[in-house]
Amino acid sequence: MSYRPTIVAFLCNWCAYTGADLAGTSRLHYAPNIRIIRVMCSGRIEPTFIFKAFQQGADGVLICGCHPGDCHYHEGNYKCLRRFKLIEKYIAQMGIEKERLQLEWISASEGKQFAELVNSMTGTLLTLGPAKISRSMEIQQLNQ
Amino acid sequence: MEEPRIGVYVCWCGTNIAKMVDVEQVAAEVSKLPNVAISKSYKYMCSDPGQELIIKDIRGHKLNRIVVAACSPRIHELTFRKAVEKAGINPYLFEMANIREQDSWVHTDRTEATTKALDLVVAAIRRVRFHEPLQKRSVNVDPATLIIGGGISGMTAALEIANAGKKVYLVEKTDRLGGQVVKFDLTFPHLSSAHQLIKPIIQRTGNHPNIEVFLNTEIREVTGYIGNFKSTVESQTQGTLELTFGNIIAAVGLKPFDPSKIEEYGYGRFPDVITSLEFEGMLANGQLLTKYGKEPRNIAIIHCVGSRNKKYHEYCSRTCCMAALKYVHEIRACLPDANIFEIYADMRAYGKGHEEFYALTTHRQIIFLMYDQQGQLPVIRQANRNDNCNMVIEMDEKLSGESVEVPVDMVILMVNMEAHDNVKEVVRAIGVSLCGNQFFIEKHPKLDPVATTTGGVFIVGTCQGPKDIPDSVAQARAAAARILASIAQGSVAVEVTTASVNELLCCGCQTCVKVCPYSAISYNESKHSSEVNEVLCKGCGTCGSACPAGAITSKHFTDNQILAEIEGIMSLSYKGA
Repeated sequence: MSYRPTIVAFLCNWCAYTGADLAGTSRLHYAPNIRIIRVMCSGRIEPTFIFKAFQQGADGVLICGCHPGDCHYHEGNYKCLRRFKLIEKYIAQMGIEKERLQLEWISASEGKQFAELVNSMTGTLLTLGPAKISRSMEIQQLNQ
Repeated sequence: MEEPRIGVYVCWCGTNIAKMVDVEQVAAEVSKLPNVAISKSYKYMCSDPGQELIIKDIRGHKLNRIVVAACSPRIHELTFRKAVEKAGINPYLFEMANIREQDSWVHTDRTEATTKALDLVVAAIRRVRFHEPLQKRSVNVDPATLIIGGGISGMTAALEIANAGKKVYLVEKTDRLGGQVVKFDLTFPHLSSAHQLIKPIIQRTGNHPNIEVFLNTEIREVTGYIGNFKSTVESQTQGTLELTFGNIIAAVGLKPFDPSKIEEYGYGRFPDVITSLEFEGMLANGQLLTKYGKEPRNIAIIHCVGSRNKKYHEYCSRTCCMAALKYVHEIRACLPDANIFEIYADMRAYGKGHEEFYALTTHRQIIFLMYDQQGQLPVIRQANRNDNCNMVIEMDEKLSGESVEVPVDMVILMVNMEAHDNVKEVVRAIGVSLCGNQFFIEKHPKLDPVATTTGGVFIVGTCQGPKDIPDSVAQARAAAARILASIAQGSVAVEVTTASVNELLCCGCQTCVKVCPYSAISYNESKHSSEVNEVLCKGCGTCGSACPAGAITSKHFTDNQILAEIEGIMSLSYKGA
């Protein structure tokens, strides 16, 4: 079977998830390889979630929160951004290309931007090819 | 914990889901999964028979966990929570998979969409196994209400609540009540006086014993939650004040578009190119004269100024077409012989009595000229010395296909309504979102148009979208009814998906205290542990992900629940790859 990149996306309830819903109500089409997980705030997203997604075989992980200044919880998206910067460095050390992890701000009205984002990330992942990390994690587990 | 017995229900949503997702296949596949006791598909899960189906199965098959794969949880999560609660199980032992907005509506390949639906349902099944019952909490409702904005919407809501005997704080940022309506001469389609309409409302609001009006006052900060808000307001006369109240109505309205942005119309360059609101002022003063003090013989009214144009605003302002027709009657009353040109893009007469008003106006000897809103806009230029007029409008008349020159002495620009410059500060303070047009977003566009996603915060009038007086008043009274209902009940249910600290695991680093945006976490020195004030906590989960000791649980978004969801969400696509 040909390579079809999978994206696991973590979307905050108030802006990004609503934006993704708007893409639906606007009947915008985007690549079907994305799987969305809802969290209340992008500030809730833990490094573990991201690593778990890669371990499960995600070729890319997408995080979307409210635009700076628009967070429903005032500043959860800033906390998310700080954490993201750290995780970005960490995944590089793990041998995961940094393009496989993306953080974008999507407002409740940006259905179109969300659809475009999914398509562009899918394109990036197609160029990168499948992520190898889940396979190496499996092998490591076997060795243990 | 008792062994999970999960009921899975896959919704067709008529053809909305079923045309793109093989719902029967999804239901059949997941029935084989561990802990799934029953799995069905049904035409409309949200309908009464759909909900009944769940309730009957919970009782008949002793189900203790429910998954519904249907629309977005933002639409029907509450509906289904109520249904499962009715059947006697805790409403939080329920999970939704979004296979409409985020699947069937956005994909075009039935196989792919079905695989995705399966993944999403599997994830929800895995997640729901870790769901824990949460107990509802309710808080008392402070019977006072804060209303932001003293226009017709804000005042109507204020009077409605005050007449029911409840306290209202009405905060207005300008130095007077009345909003935009106070600037109008007549209203459409009945041509009755706006003054006679608004003056008594202003008086009643100002004199009402239950309404405290703060003029020249702005909201700085709002803290608290439904039933128990607190706000700092800054009044130019009274300084900084602290108010406490149980509900909020935002009625901040919109403002007129600045037409000087449109080069073609020369607003600001030509003194006799005026906005509709400036013209209303002229009418109210009873003096219809050009800047040179002459009676205009030729008057043009240009529609859609700043509206329905990608360069300015894409939306329709809804009220300008009828207001423009209203001017025909007002001009005719003062200047029976003037030539009137309605230069329009499309005539929108959607409301009650509007089409009849349009038909009536067409008999008043006026000239309708259509322009292409997406093409070249009409251009206003200074008339030549021997032209018998002040200005000339050059335009491509769409219906005839001809280029026309219209002689004019006065041009009225029907300006669009747009958001106030400081709208972001207001929405941030009260915790509401804005749509792309900078209008306040309602909780549900059809079923809950005056509520917002923040409990106890309501939106009325034009800040929710351009609208006329009847629609604004209807919203104001609707929001007042909602608030009076919560006051009458005395208490409201609040979010229970808060954070909690496991004292045994807490290492006392106090990272959570620092990251909490609501100061809901404090450190208990004697227990050497952080503590969450559940009343202040809004459940964002930021502390949970910041805690290095894993001592904080974000209820209903626990690590176990989310990790289980991640495990499930690729179970099929990954295997298939």
